[in-house]
Amino acid sequence: MKPNQDPENDAHLRTLLRSWVVDTPLPPGFKDSVWRRIERADLQPESPFWAGLMNLIDVSLPRPKVAFAYLTVLLAVGLTAGAWAAQIKTSHAETSLGLRYVQSLDPYHSAAVHP
Amino acid sequence: MKKGPAILVLGILASLAAFAAVYYLGTLHCRDMMRGAKPELVWLKHEFKLNDAEFTRITQLHEAYLPRCRERCKHIAEQDEKLQQLLAHSASITPEIQTLLAERAKTRADCEAEMLKHFLEVSRTMPLEQGKRYLAWVQQQSSLHSGGMEQSHGMDDEHHL
Repeated sequence: MKPNQDPENDAHLRTLLRSWVVDTPLPPGFKDSVWRRIERADLQPESPFWAGLMNLIDVSLPRPKVAFAYLTVLLAVGLTAGAWAAQIKTSHAETSLGLRYVQSLDPYHSAAVHP
Repeated sequence: MKKGPAILVLGILASLAAFAAVYYLGTLHCRDMMRGAKPELVWLKHEFKLNDAEFTRITQLHEAYLPRCRERCKHIAEQDEKLQQLLAHSASITPEIQTLLAERAKTRADCEAEMLKHFLEVSRTMPLEQGKRYLAWVQQQSSLHSGGMEQSHGMDDEHHL
């Protein structure tokens, strides 16, 4: 078996690489475009949080188990929040109707009303 | 669209749809009550679990009470206005003011007696337990449960507990 060689010390490889000539022309404006991308990347470095989040969305979320857990949790959150909001609304409406009933009968109640 | 962002959006939409559906169904009864001609009486029926016959009887009592209540309200407003006029033209308590204050106190006592009579009549129309609960609740909510000076002076029962 041929032992692994360090490419830095491989004289044959170095000679070969020096003799390699790229004859395919670069697309027009290639260098400018590369520099622009480098400048943009320097100006707006992606934060680790966003990088992690994007990675989570692109890589982890499509996994069936993760997707199922995510959908289940969001569905449960929606159901719970809906029930909670409905309970608050109903309780508020019932209190206000009770007050309205008393106000319709009591002339000395604050803001007494007569329908 | 890539799979990851699509699942993300789907989850958010599913959550919003679940919220809207539960909220709609949870407030359906409440919205039905509000739509009625006398929502406060429909609420009374629901709150004190009245059957149709009890509800009809209570509605009749309510309708009979309101015109008398309106008359008393008018009388109270007239007395209040008269008192304001007397107070505006006098720097001391005249016999006329004193008489009017006594009349106002009498009007209030009459009103409270009529109101209590109505509450008792309504409570008797309800099933026994609900009637007791109604009476306790309505006395607590109405002006029969005083919230005046004695409360601000710390003489209310609750302050002594």
